[in-house]
Amino acid sequence: MKRRSFLQKSAMASTSILVPAFLKAYQPENLFNSRSGKILVIVQLSGGNDGLNTVIPYRNDIYYQQRPTLAVQKSEVLQVSDQLGLNPVLSPLQSLYDDGLLSIVNNVGYPNPDRSHFRSMDIWHTASESNEYLSTGWLGRYLDSSCQGCEAAHHALEVDDELSLALKGQQKKGFAMSNPQQLKRQTNNPLLKHLAAQDHHDHEENVAYLYKIMADTYSSADYLSEKAKTYSSKMTYPPSAFGKRLKQVAELISADTDTRIYYVSLSGFDTHVNQKSQQERLLKQYAEGMSAFVKDLKQNRLLDDTLIMTFSEFGRRVKQNASRGTDHGTANNLFLIGGKLKRPGFFNEGPNLSTLDKGDLIYKVDFRDIYATILDKWLEGNSKQILNKSFRGLNLV
Amino acid sequence: MEKIKHLYGRAGFGLSVGEWEQKRNLSVSQAVNELFSKALATPPLSPPATANVEGFLQMSEMDKAETRKKERRLVVLQSAAWIKRMSDASESPLLERMTLFWHGHFACQSKTSVMASNQLNTIRKHALGNFRELVLAIAKDPSMIRFLNNQQNRKQKPNENFARELMELFTIGRGNYTEKDIKEAARAFTGWSSTARGEYIFRARVHDYGTKTFFGQSGRFDGTDIIDMILEKKQTAEFITRKIYRYFVNEQINEAHVQQLANSFYSSNYDIGKLMRQIFLSDWFYEASNRGSKIKSPVDLMAGMIKNLQIEFENELALVFLQKSLGQSLFNPPNVAGWPGSRSWVDNSTLMIRLNLPAFLLNSKEVNFKLKEEFEAKRQNKITRRLNANLDLTPIIAQVQGKDIEAQVKYLSDYLLPNSGKIPMPLFKRITRGKSAEDTTKLVLLGIMSLPEYQMC
Repeated sequence: MKRRSFLQKSAMASTSILVPAFLKAYQPENLFNSRSGKILVIVQLSGGNDGLNTVIPYRNDIYYQQRPTLAVQKSEVLQVSDQLGLNPVLSPLQSLYDDGLLSIVNNVGYPNPDRSHFRSMDIWHTASESNEYLSTGWLGRYLDSSCQGCEAAHHALEVDDELSLALKGQQKKGFAMSNPQQLKRQTNNPLLKHLAAQDHHDHEENVAYLYKIMADTYSSADYLSEKAKTYSSKMTYPPSAFGKRLKQVAELISADTDTRIYYVSLSGFDTHVNQKSQQERLLKQYAEGMSAFVKDLKQNRLLDDTLIMTFSEFGRRVKQNASRGTDHGTANNLFLIGGKLKRPGFFNEGPNLSTLDKGDLIYKVDFRDIYATILDKWLEGNSKQILNKSFRGLNLV
Repeated sequence: MEKIKHLYGRAGFGLSVGEWEQKRNLSVSQAVNELFSKALATPPLSPPATANVEGFLQMSEMDKAETRKKERRLVVLQSAAWIKRMSDASESPLLERMTLFWHGHFACQSKTSVMASNQLNTIRKHALGNFRELVLAIAKDPSMIRFLNNQQNRKQKPNENFARELMELFTIGRGNYTEKDIKEAARAFTGWSSTARGEYIFRARVHDYGTKTFFGQSGRFDGTDIIDMILEKKQTAEFITRKIYRYFVNEQINEAHVQQLANSFYSSNYDIGKLMRQIFLSDWFYEASNRGSKIKSPVDLMAGMIKNLQIEFENELALVFLQKSLGQSLFNPPNVAGWPGSRSWVDNSTLMIRLNLPAFLLNSKEVNFKLKEEFEAKRQNKITRRLNANLDLTPIIAQVQGKDIEAQVKYLSDYLLPNSGKIPMPLFKRITRGKSAEDTTKLVLLGIMSLPEYQMC
């Protein structure tokens, strides 16, 4: 097909919901516009990723003293700055770093850190104080407060069978789907299909609520499985479940799906025993996945509209344990990836290893300042209302 | 008949079809009496075999991890056994229901199976007894002591965690005490500790015997005094009554009813059984606005389905898988505030599992759902996705045998749905056309249990 007729064809199809976003960008009227909405992608590293073996303070003697067998040797470190370097398995991220597409925020945490996975993950999901118990998540509350008009149930989409607390609001909730085929299978039940199409307004309030979720699920299932067919990525992603999920997200973003928040997890970072092989296997998956994802979006001119935040519920103890692993710790680094970063590279200084709290790093950046920045600057929300407290935010995006 | 269904839905976990036939014509007071006498006649659970946690602290990391894993497995097996108990016709549904309520109220994650089982027995013992006794027993419960770090609460270095939750979540609620009250209460609970074997111990050496000032009064208070002083405040009776009302009656509070209940709860000196009897015997409990207004918790749903379909799982882990995928794992509430309940049970994913569950069970299909991976290194997901459930539908078939489809729908929706629901009759007729009598009943049953109304009680 000649380029001209290709453009004509795609212009003709512009009324269809099925035109991929990058094609829309080629249409004359859209040539200079980026898409209307910004996209946020959250990547959760579950289990407590060891930040000190991710971003390595390779000039710090304490690091090598405390981790006699676990430290990454200076010669192997990717020395991207004069103090801090990356674990060699993160080499796919180095070009992102060099191109200004990666910001690393060090020492991120919260006051009175909790070392239980579940509790600390809850704190990150709900953005609560460490002695406060909330049953809604920060992105769920964003949907409640700033997204009253969003009709689509998949406005915030978790690529998983289970919906995380982060995406559960009081009135609104995100949508969980590990893949469109699976969702289609779930909605195959003919009886339910029939019920979903019925009017449900005259039911008791809670029953009507169930009918509404059911009906929304059916319409999102139809919409998402159509969208998923629109654009098929040619990029090579790691063959793991995580790689497949990232690919799914890239395809949905490229198909101009009306989802603005995506949530993906990678598990297994709880490395008490024989950490090295385990953590490096996962970090490699992460880096290869992110690198493919970024290339994919960049190629479709969507990277400027996308912000990716990677976090873990806590970092790990500075000193290695007796099983060549590390135990639960506190503050950690957090990655932001995207085309519109204000301060790419290292956002702040690396951790101070000489002043510790019971063997653990002391946080300098409250994660809720990062949330506030994302909510206010990226999602055009009201962080004060969503976080129930005023955070100044940071110069990140 | 509607009243009996409502009572057993809320005070128990629904009825098997046999029980339904037996009880549907009882009067409310007959049924309430039966529920209470059965509860009071039920003996405590026998404790599980002691697991090997001796010498835990001396173990290598690897052995520790192995022991933790073993214990976790024993705890999840207990959770499956508990759900079976809830649905077991020979057990007391009221006692299990009250125990489940308090289990969510005194939310606690148990590390070992012995501690989990001891705590459960403690709650069962007082579930319909005296609230003061219950709070005091929980304050001395090793699992709770560990969960809320009271073994680290020492005179030299008080830990406020237990004292804070005691007031905020367990008794009086926010807004009725100061930060100073928490600090002073924490001092009173110093030394309330547990041994390595998981038994309660009072460590006098770390107890603060000094004078504390709590709620404006000064004295050499200990934990028992603090609990008494909290319960002396009527706000505690109101706080607990309100929570019970939300759970057993309606999330929408009727203030007049709550005040009336709280008054009698307070003047009865916190007699839980009396309070529950008052609720179940009041006319307003049975009003239409209260019936079928509650979204079943995952555990309610599972226990109820087992009763309805007389399910035997070939592998108990099926019940563990279901708890996890539906979002309520017993002995493992999300945090000390317990399960938020109500609409938070339901999102697109959990609702689709709930609605498809009857089909998975009746057609023994594999559940279309994968659990999130654990924090630890990836390992094979041992929990079965195929539920391998053996159902006994003969009691249901016996009841509807020979009836035409409309009569079957009528009978089964009366039995299974709180407010007999809007049944899409033409659809039912279409899907059963030309089917054998047994398949017709199966399809009607499946249809009714797949309605969102079945999620309500």
